[in-house]
Amino acid sequence: MTAPLTRAQAEELLFREAMLIDTRQYDAWLAMFTPDVEFWMPAWRSETETTTDPDRELSLIYYKGRRNLEDRVMRLTSGLSTASTPPPRVVHVVSNVLVTAADADIAQVSAVFTCHRFDVRMNRAECFFGRYDYALRREGADWLIARKKITLLNDTIPTVVDITSI
Amino acid sequence: MTIDVSAYVDDRPDEGIFRVNRAIFTDEQVFEAEMARIFEGGWVFLGLEAQAPAPHDFFTTFAGRVPILVQRDGEGVLRAFVNSCPHKGARLAQTQAGNARLHVCPYHSWSFDSAGRSKAVKWQKAGCYSAAFDQQDHGLAVVPRFANYRGFLFGSLSADVPPLAEYLGEAAKLLDLVADQSEEGAELVPGQVTFTYQANWKLQLENCSDAYHFTSAHPSYIRVLERRQQETSGEVVASVWENSDYWKEETQGIGGGSYSFPNGHVLNWGVFGITPAIPLYESAAVLAERHGEGKRDWMFNMRNLTIFPNLQVAENASSQLRVIRPISPGLTEMRTWCIAPKGESDAARRQRIRQYEDFFNPTGMATPDDTVSYENCQIGFAGTVDPWLQGYARGMTASVEGGNRFSDRIGLNPARSVLADSQLCDETLYHAYYRAWAERLGDVA
Repeated sequence: MTAPLTRAQAEELLFREAMLIDTRQYDAWLAMFTPDVEFWMPAWRSETETTTDPDRELSLIYYKGRRNLEDRVMRLTSGLSTASTPPPRVVHVVSNVLVTAADADIAQVSAVFTCHRFDVRMNRAECFFGRYDYALRREGADWLIARKKITLLNDTIPTVVDITSI
Repeated sequence: MTIDVSAYVDDRPDEGIFRVNRAIFTDEQVFEAEMARIFEGGWVFLGLEAQAPAPHDFFTTFAGRVPILVQRDGEGVLRAFVNSCPHKGARLAQTQAGNARLHVCPYHSWSFDSAGRSKAVKWQKAGCYSAAFDQQDHGLAVVPRFANYRGFLFGSLSADVPPLAEYLGEAAKLLDLVADQSEEGAELVPGQVTFTYQANWKLQLENCSDAYHFTSAHPSYIRVLERRQQETSGEVVASVWENSDYWKEETQGIGGGSYSFPNGHVLNWGVFGITPAIPLYESAAVLAERHGEGKRDWMFNMRNLTIFPNLQVAENASSQLRVIRPISPGLTEMRTWCIAPKGESDAARRQRIRQYEDFFNPTGMATPDDTVSYENCQIGFAGTVDPWLQGYARGMTASVEGGNRFSDRIGLNPARSVLADSQLCDETLYHAYYRAWAERLGDVA
């Protein structure tokens, strides 16, 4: 008999994910996702609504499958991307974590985030903020991220926003 | 304000010299003149008719620094107004788009119908206005020139401009290649993406036409493509680039080239071929039947089009409509959309959107490597030991007057053209930008 996800477990997972991104431990970060993960940051269709159908409407980022996140990490770490070299310094603050639904093998978690980014190349600091909606799935002893939806509230992008600053 | 254009553009065709001075990207006076003469003094792109399809629909945009309201009235007539209340100047429509029979100014409640006419001046009778005021028109200021070319809406804040058809000239046929992909025309996929970069607007103008940077600025993206090619699975985001050889340096033979037109309109293009990697593939046969093979083949070519000064339609990895909005010499805002033929299948739309996000978005894997390079240029422009840039010289001996056998296929008559193998990467197409720029600013005194 396995117990549903607790808020403490959810916080542990989300905080750990943020730490791995902030410290550029990308392999460990990728290992937190299921192979079929949906990783989605919708675009805004108006002042008040984001897009809702990634197949008919534009997203800022939409991937189905961890493999696509591996591509992003490969690009980030390749040394071949001007925009990613030198890497910006980032820190995520994740808060207001709520387990909104939970059974033995699946859980829905919502949270809010701010990500502070210092772009060393241009000597400028920016802050990105928004909401996270996760679906977590139990795989053996671990909970993995099966879905991550990022609602970026300040979506006028200052030159670049990569997967490390959302 | 005095602008000596020869201090910024050194154009000596007989000597094989074309140079641009770095100051053209940084000088405040140049920027002021560009706003007055180009963005607020001539034709600029405002938006697509499809952004306001129904009676009373509207959308907002800018012509240079001037806020613009494009509004459809109850009878379906589209008009463009300055989006500013005549009373105290407040911006009237507050949202990017909407539907309004009536706009009421949130400051003092002056109101306007969807044809821009004054409906009411609040408490007018009690206002002890002079007769002179009562005789005045209190409607919205009309943008002096407004025209619709096949769903592409343009306006000019100066009445002293040629008709739009004359301004677009032969380049209009390149907008036809976008509009004719569906019998219903083109639309914008819901979801707008706005980004800024800390550099001059003309860097975006140039980069769209720049074939030379692709393998230099985007090797990380190219490596991702190579990886996807090796490990194909249903999960990966397929890209048209991985199915095309035209941009690869080892490719032999004519793969594309450039066309330039009067008034600063420019196209660079390459052959992709009729491949399933292009979302339009499902319509290949019907488009050939409807428009002939020549025009159909052109719809499948990689095409980066600039309608000077602020519209770009890039059809390569996917299809993007961009509106360039200069904010200051060193700051530019880009508003971008996925433009698509109306009525395409769900599968084609999904493929178009996935390719778009990966390549075009500022949250994707290619555009940031461009915009960061613009910022590096803007920093480098401070170096005035030799102020003259050397980036306008490739293709100088390949550029010829008129078109070629490719443009002949759609009866397109450019002013100049270059036919190129993959390594030529013409830079003479930029000359059209700066010649138009010099013409517009030439008599600023």
